[in-house]
Amino acid sequence: MQYPHIFTPMTIGKLLLPNRIYSTAHAEVYAESGGMPGERYIKYYEEKAKGGLGMAICGGSSPVSLDVPQGAWKPVNLTTDLVIEPLAKLAEAMHKHGSKIMIQATHMGRRSAFAGDPWPHLVSPSGIREPVHRGNAKTIEIEEITRIIGDFAKAAKRVQAAGLDGIEISAAHQHLIDQFWSPRTNQRNDEYGGSLQNRMRFGLQVLQAVRDAVGADFCVGMRMCADEFYDDGLDHPTLKEIAATYSQTGLIDFISVIGSGADTHNKVTNCMPSMALPPEPFVNLAAGIKSVSSVPILHAQGIRDITQAERILAGGLVDMVGMTRAHIADPHIILKIRDGREDEIRQCVGANYCIDRQYLGQDVLCVQNAATSRESTMPHKVIKSTGLKRKVVVVGAGPAGLEAARVAAERGHEVILFEKNTTVGGQVNLAAKAPQREQMAGIIRWLDMQTKRLKVDRRLGVAADAGMILAEKPSIVVIATGGLSNTEQVPAWGVDKGLAVSAWDILTEKVALKKNVLLYDTIGTHAGFGTADFMASRGSQVEIVTPDVKVADDVGGTTFPIFYRRLYAQGMIATPNYWLDSVYPEGDKKIAVLRNEYTEVLEEREVDQVVIENGITPNTALYWTLKDHSKNHGQTDISTLFEAKPQPALAEKLAEGEFLLFRVGDCVSQHNIHGAIYDALRLCKDF
Amino acid sequence: MLNYFITALFWLATFILLVGLWRRAQLWRNGQAAEWKLTQLFTIPKRYFVDLHHVVAREPYIARTHVATAGGAVAAIALVAINYGLMLYSTMLNWAIVIATCIMFIGAFFVWLRRTSLITNQPPSRLSKGNWSRLPYSLLAFSLGLLLLTLPITTLSNSIAVIAALLLLAGSAELALGIGMGGPMKHAIAGLLHLAFHPRQERFNDQLSTALKPLNLQEKEFGINKPSDFNWNQLLGFDACVQCGKCEAACPAFAAGQPLNPKKLIQDLVVGLSSGTDASFAGSPYAGIPVGTHAGSPNQAIVPALIEAQTLWACTTCRACVQECPMLIEHVDAIVGMRRNLTLTQGSAPNKAPQLLENLRQTANQNGEDNLARYYWAIDLDVKTISPITPVDVLLVAGEGAFDMRYQRTLRALVKLLKAAKVDFAVMGALENDTGDTARRLGDEATFQMLAKRNIANFNTLKFKRILTADPHVLHCLKNEYPAFGGHYEVLHHSTFLAQLVANGALKLSKSTETRKLTYHDPCYLARYNNETKSPRALLKSIGLRVNEMERSGLRGRCCGGGGGAPLTDIAGKQRIPDIRIADARSIGAEVVAVACPQCTAMLEGVIERPEVLDIAELLAASLVVASSAVTGLVIESTVVAA
Repeated sequence: MQYPHIFTPMTIGKLLLPNRIYSTAHAEVYAESGGMPGERYIKYYEEKAKGGLGMAICGGSSPVSLDVPQGAWKPVNLTTDLVIEPLAKLAEAMHKHGSKIMIQATHMGRRSAFAGDPWPHLVSPSGIREPVHRGNAKTIEIEEITRIIGDFAKAAKRVQAAGLDGIEISAAHQHLIDQFWSPRTNQRNDEYGGSLQNRMRFGLQVLQAVRDAVGADFCVGMRMCADEFYDDGLDHPTLKEIAATYSQTGLIDFISVIGSGADTHNKVTNCMPSMALPPEPFVNLAAGIKSVSSVPILHAQGIRDITQAERILAGGLVDMVGMTRAHIADPHIILKIRDGREDEIRQCVGANYCIDRQYLGQDVLCVQNAATSRESTMPHKVIKSTGLKRKVVVVGAGPAGLEAARVAAERGHEVILFEKNTTVGGQVNLAAKAPQREQMAGIIRWLDMQTKRLKVDRRLGVAADAGMILAEKPSIVVIATGGLSNTEQVPAWGVDKGLAVSAWDILTEKVALKKNVLLYDTIGTHAGFGTADFMASRGSQVEIVTPDVKVADDVGGTTFPIFYRRLYAQGMIATPNYWLDSVYPEGDKKIAVLRNEYTEVLEEREVDQVVIENGITPNTALYWTLKDHSKNHGQTDISTLFEAKPQPALAEKLAEGEFLLFRVGDCVSQHNIHGAIYDALRLCKDF
Repeated sequence: MLNYFITALFWLATFILLVGLWRRAQLWRNGQAAEWKLTQLFTIPKRYFVDLHHVVAREPYIARTHVATAGGAVAAIALVAINYGLMLYSTMLNWAIVIATCIMFIGAFFVWLRRTSLITNQPPSRLSKGNWSRLPYSLLAFSLGLLLLTLPITTLSNSIAVIAALLLLAGSAELALGIGMGGPMKHAIAGLLHLAFHPRQERFNDQLSTALKPLNLQEKEFGINKPSDFNWNQLLGFDACVQCGKCEAACPAFAAGQPLNPKKLIQDLVVGLSSGTDASFAGSPYAGIPVGTHAGSPNQAIVPALIEAQTLWACTTCRACVQECPMLIEHVDAIVGMRRNLTLTQGSAPNKAPQLLENLRQTANQNGEDNLARYYWAIDLDVKTISPITPVDVLLVAGEGAFDMRYQRTLRALVKLLKAAKVDFAVMGALENDTGDTARRLGDEATFQMLAKRNIANFNTLKFKRILTADPHVLHCLKNEYPAFGGHYEVLHHSTFLAQLVANGALKLSKSTETRKLTYHDPCYLARYNNETKSPRALLKSIGLRVNEMERSGLRGRCCGGGGGAPLTDIAGKQRIPDIRIADARSIGAEVVAVACPQCTAMLEGVIERPEVLDIAELLAASLVVASSAVTGLVIESTVVAA
């Protein structure tokens, strides 16, 4: 039997699960107004059920009480009976496919920003401010404790009434229950503070109330941290003691374990370990909890590969493995294992595009799978067209071109893919050059394998021109030629005079790296810092100058702390709020002239090398040569595109020699990887 | 003068024939006792003209040739017996003899023609040469000699009369002396007697007779060690072989270059029963084993002096040889009989077989799994597990394949179909033991019987109307082999059951969206062992799929190589059997091979470059899905496997 441990069923409480992979509670940011799960929410989860997932826990941090602001991450609102009906639809959708569904319920305590509807005064055991969310809070009173315990019970009743299979009470990520546990946040001297027994009291009362509300047969679990990693916080031995105590009460059916506290930026980043962290970094902590627990232990964190999951289960470290981001990247993991198509699993690379968007209050999207959470309009499985079989020429094998070729080939068309380089991947290959960002290449690896599997005619190392393309007599041409390093925008940078070089020149090692380097980053994404890190890791002394308010300003909450760890550890100098006006030579040195954004005072730096990261300009040359030959003049009809409907031009009959021309990705204007892939998917799915 | 010559020759020949037959019968009597009645002789005409002819008629050329030759010969000899044996010397009867010998002569001419290179490039390689090559001449000589000598219109010149007499003498020698000496014409007598005393009498009552016979486990020696361990009527059966090589041409192991040729195997057993060496065998050898290096006698161990063990282990028990044999010889019974001795007495089953048998003994499944895991795949499908207190209509017995992720896809599809048809069914859960099919084919009758008895005991605690399985090996065991141990059940293959559901409207399917060219591969244990070739085709037709037949299909389908424990004994050949089968599919341009057996699925999917292999259930379940979408060409989800 293949993957015998993954496919050994599991009983938690009275609930029988078909396999040991599950999706943990995470903030989806999909709930509709009032915190109601709508079509998008349900379809997002149903896709995982279709994909064979044994269980999903939805609704990360779904609040049970009114004094938790809900604007920032659109959670499911468990404070009202109105939620029962939409949750029932969710349960029905999941059960139809044999999957189980639970929801996480919590009170965030101080872990919010007060400045949002309903502008509550946040409560916390001792009213200590939370740093990450700027969570100013009051000291919770006994009456409020009693109310909130009641809120938990009422929320649990609603979840049960909706027909969900269970509820997970969060005592992780420093929510209210573990705010009581932790000496870092609980300095009370009443029966809820002081001794560990007192600090555990609130959580036990919550679980008792929940259990009383739902009865003995309903599955109730708890999520907890196994080490807060703060000197003044909860350490592993203490959390083992808590786990032992809670599991022995008989109130809970499982414990879901995570590593790391979360109330500072640098700790939050541990919670959803990105590609910069080792695989499964905290599984040992979960195993530690398992050693004292009398209920099953569930664990997720950086488990992205099925053989990794199988190994962890085989080792008996935990009882179930959460693969949440793995399912955001590919909701059909179990299905593909069952079908013997493991090599078709689109593996999460840990880019954390999903969670970084969530931290900005944006809906969770996958960097590489544009269908995720767009199940109403975008296919996870592109099916073969029953219409015309067309000849499709795609030019450029970056993420947009590869996705276009993949989707067109899945549709059953004859696809030719031109790429001027000898390898596919485009700018993602550059992104993967940065230290600890190597796994970005995984995005391309999947597309590479898919286009090969689908027998796309890949012509690598061929710089296609209009003649070559027209000679193929295509009916559709998709231009995905990406961008060119945009270093010409400010002539005073002196790139053409050799006074400054591009980040691409550095990453491709076209230009030799020098000792004392100034990196000027106008974009603020991974590219600039990645280049700086690339240089610093090779021994250069690097100063990062940016007009943004901080270095790497446009990367998310779980990524910039990783960058900053490296920035400070490698002695890089961060100089935000400065423009680079010009560069001039002085001997064999370069003088960079900087201007402060706010004082407009000029400063100079004497360096060996100035490196520019100014994004890209679209590479449009080929487009312009083809545009007037094409039937649609290269125009994409955006109203149908945005409605996810077929391009009207596809319905028109093409005469001999006529073809349609479309553009996707950076060759239109600078987007990102997700944007490039989404462009290609939404256009080509209807070819 | 001539008349007296013929009379004398007739009675001399009859005497020689009887002496020869008596000697031959002594060889058969070396075998073990088997029940028989003299009255069985009366069954011969029907069995000859109906049952045997039914097989022979598959090749019209030789059927017509044989009718003429044998019919002419029998008629001529009978007339000679009357006219000359009884010394009537009637001219009228002579005319009748002339007609009969003419017919025989024409028949013998076509026998000769088949063995020359005049009309075909060469005689088919499956035909034995040697003394079989002389047979047309003997027959021509006999018929021509008799014709000339009995022709009543002219007086023959002395020289022609002498030549005719010599021709008749030579021909008669073949018919009389030859039979006793084991010549080719022995087939006539042994073949007819074999029809009467055939070890599987039920074959002639239009009954499927494919179950292996139980072995008495109280005996001192298990199975066949030496030729005399065969029952006498089995030995008789071997003697009936005409070396036509139809078995050889059908044998998948032979085609794959493995050291097995069923024709040679039967001839080796003839050598064994009559003592001698295989040096005179004039057909295709076992691959890699030179002819003339083996010898045997009735009381000498067969393996390895007469037959190498690898020859026996190469067999897939596909029964293609039995299906083809015009003399109705039972090759598979012989092979399994000899395997029983190798496995039970000598413990010498090769390669992976011993491990599997050990697993079966210790864990009741083939790979030492937890028996509870057999139905793990069914949990998310919310399938009931039967228990003594929960009666169901249909008990689904998945078999060993249920541990395999590939076959689980078939089972999932089947469950989906059963649910759509609202069938009241349950799986057997941890109560299910392996049926013992593989153990039995590997000769381990003890393990088979242990498992069979255990399964029967479990079945007896449960309440169900019928058993359903997607595995033809399970079907065969439960349906055909368990009755001998007291297990009588209605057992249905999923193709049969689903065809019933479609026919009675319980299962409603839309037309398949499958556009690829499709063929259907008949599993041996479904087609030849259970005579089910129609339901799978009817099902495919019901969803609008056209079956493009491969050259070998239906009851004459080519084996995938997966039966009889052959994948475990794993005897090397020039190529693998599934490669040949996939080549069959590719040669007709098939892009999808529909199957109905987990063994076939596994074997055929073992070929790397191949059409897609899909079980009937998977193809049908895909037609349960009604594709719908608001947007052209966009179907959010997907195929059956996404269920």
